[in-house]
Amino acid sequence: MRFRTQALFVLPTLVAMVTATQATSQGPKPSAELAWAIRYDPKTFDPAKVDEQVSETVRFLTGGVLLRLNPQTQEPQPELAESWTSSADGRVISFRLRSGLRFSDGTSLTSQDVAWSLRRILDPATDAPTAEEFVAPQKVTVETPDPRTVVVRLPLRILGIGKVFDEIAIEPAGRASQGRVTSGLFCIANYKRGQFVQLKANPNYWKRDATGVQLPYASGIRLEVVGNREQEIARFQRGAYDLIDGLPPEYYSLLAQKSPGTARDLGPSLNSEQMWFNQSPAAPLPDFEKAWFQNRTFRVAISQSIHRADLARIAYDGHATPAYGFISPANTLWYNTHLQVPHEDTAAAVRLLSSAGFHKSGDHLYDTAGHPVKFSIVTNSGNSARQKMATLIQQDLAALGIDVTVVTLDFPALIERLMHSMDYEACLLGLSNVEPDPNAMINVWHSASPNHQWNPSEKTPATPWEAQIDKDMDLQASSVRMQDRRRAVDDVQQIVADQQPFIYLVYPNALYAVSPQLIGVQPTVFQPGIVWNVASLRLQGGKR
Amino acid sequence: MRSRVTVGLLGFLIAAAVLVTALSGRNYATQDRDSPMAGASRMHWTGTDDLGRDRTIRMAVALLIGVAGAVAASAVSVSLAAGIGTAAAFSPRPVGGALMLLSDIFLALPWLFLLMIVRSALPLTISPMRSAAVTFFILAALGWPACARAVYRGALDLRCSEWMNQGRAAGLSSAQLIRGLLPHLRPLLVPQFLLCIPAFLVAEANMGALGLGIAEPLPSWGGMLMELDNSAMLARSGWVYFPIALLVGLLLLLESLVHEV
Repeated sequence: MRFRTQALFVLPTLVAMVTATQATSQGPKPSAELAWAIRYDPKTFDPAKVDEQVSETVRFLTGGVLLRLNPQTQEPQPELAESWTSSADGRVISFRLRSGLRFSDGTSLTSQDVAWSLRRILDPATDAPTAEEFVAPQKVTVETPDPRTVVVRLPLRILGIGKVFDEIAIEPAGRASQGRVTSGLFCIANYKRGQFVQLKANPNYWKRDATGVQLPYASGIRLEVVGNREQEIARFQRGAYDLIDGLPPEYYSLLAQKSPGTARDLGPSLNSEQMWFNQSPAAPLPDFEKAWFQNRTFRVAISQSIHRADLARIAYDGHATPAYGFISPANTLWYNTHLQVPHEDTAAAVRLLSSAGFHKSGDHLYDTAGHPVKFSIVTNSGNSARQKMATLIQQDLAALGIDVTVVTLDFPALIERLMHSMDYEACLLGLSNVEPDPNAMINVWHSASPNHQWNPSEKTPATPWEAQIDKDMDLQASSVRMQDRRRAVDDVQQIVADQQPFIYLVYPNALYAVSPQLIGVQPTVFQPGIVWNVASLRLQGGKR
Repeated sequence: MRSRVTVGLLGFLIAAAVLVTALSGRNYATQDRDSPMAGASRMHWTGTDDLGRDRTIRMAVALLIGVAGAVAASAVSVSLAAGIGTAAAFSPRPVGGALMLLSDIFLALPWLFLLMIVRSALPLTISPMRSAAVTFFILAALGWPACARAVYRGALDLRCSEWMNQGRAAGLSSAQLIRGLLPHLRPLLVPQFLLCIPAFLVAEANMGALGLGIAEPLPSWGGMLMELDNSAMLARSGWVYFPIALLVGLLLLLESLVHEV
């Protein structure tokens, strides 16, 4: 889970123009090569050091892994390991490698290479982000009883081995190659900074399709660095790119009109857009304002008077789904279908506010002490959907007699207010959920976390319900049985719906576009998106 | 002759904007949520924007705010420049030099970033009307140096002119001298004033396009320009061009007005 920073810096036209001139124009491409755009240059090609989206895409396309998480089932599938076993306490995992595995340069892949790659990840000197998943990486041992067996001994059970081992690319022992020699689908053939990353198919990839044809079907992939969405879409329309993942909603109808059948809407994504009030006691706000924001009734009334369907229809051109909780309905495994949420009803919100001592006089709402109720909503500049939502909410809350000002700030100024000075009243932002497992959101829900946005870094939970969320989140992190985890997560969803610390607005829909020539697409809203089955994607009229 | 036509056109635009604002009985902030991005109709003469707000009334209000703000900012800026420029010209050389150095430093400042910093340091609950006032005030405060340089040059020439020497020899006080000076500076100040107006309009539009200008729901040229950011919007709604065409027309009119003067 991370703030969507990439999208935020898109606006300044100058920057966009600079990137536009840097990118090369695409010549005629071989029919069996796939091509699409990446937003920026990958920070690293070292699979151990990946910590952002584009590098992750490259690792996904090039790295050979022991297990691969199937995004559709969320179950681990055998990859380089043909089978694996886990001890009853989950602390000993042993992998059995496929026979005859070879790297892209032809050398054979043995358990020695696997052990070397795992140890490299675990070594503190590598500083691999994945090492954190092992809790105590220095206490993990890796053994190789024979050339096809690898045994990993863990000090503590880890959640979701499918996800962890999906992030560890197996490289030739002692010859870390920055993706040039791989055991995965592709390997890096060429890279020009600011222009493109060229991948070619690994001729020794282990997998074949049902008819015995070597996978991947595509002879290579060209990832072009294009920071400008306009340009990406124009090139897609010309046929230079085969797909666009994460299509902005305002371009959907344009594509649907100009190139019918290419744009698709997958329904709600895992991401959410939400608004919250600053409940921090350290905030430099008047005490009566803090009292409003810390008052559950006030928050629920606000939530009840926001017309989410209008937000989805107007701000997202219909390509968003009204949201009431932190887990999107797309996340079928964890979505609480019995969630009780405050229904949208402005009249009920008015009654609720008057029961809490607020009263309306003329067009304005006043609190018990006679202070007019007004506050500002901050959001980042350059995101038109958020600005529109804030302006729509402004009018929705005017019906309650609340005077809202909408303030757009550049992202650094916004973060300064959210994380350090705490000088804001309400904020509207989105969160990108990369993983469906709610454990990834523990840094948002745990009251001691600096990312616990409405009241960061609490020494002790400020309210009983926050204490309960802490308890539930710890429970789901430590439980082994799925139903215990699910019960804890359902409980957190209900508490959040009751207390509205985050007022969820919409889940933006997952939009993508694929060229009519591309066959084999099985879209999913889960990472790595529509290219998850890239091995079996091919272009109609291709060489194979 | 031409200047009369341009003044007439400008006056007509402003009068039309006032009439539309006063007589249409609509509000620039009212959202007609059932018809966002609608085309021209009897209800909405030039269609609605992406939140279903009437474009005619928003353009009219934006014109009034923009012109009023730019004129006020231009007046403030030119007065500042006149004060500082003449003061620098008539004070001893080192003081004058220091004042001009100050204006040079002001010119060299990365003012866009300065604006962004000042804008983000403002209290968040400031009302949209006040934020518009602050925006134009900041523009005025940053717009004087170039003009001050011109005034300084002009005043320096006048300082050594014959009538000035004669006045000085006749024993006129400096207050009397300056009173005599102002009519001579007028041919310099009026074009400066008129040139600043379009400059400030464009500056506000730039800030608005960066999301730092006049706050929602107040309409502004900048906010409307922001819609031009993506081609999808343009393809769907040709009328988005209209306010921009109006803006460009207005700027050209002012430009030609300056040439006449």
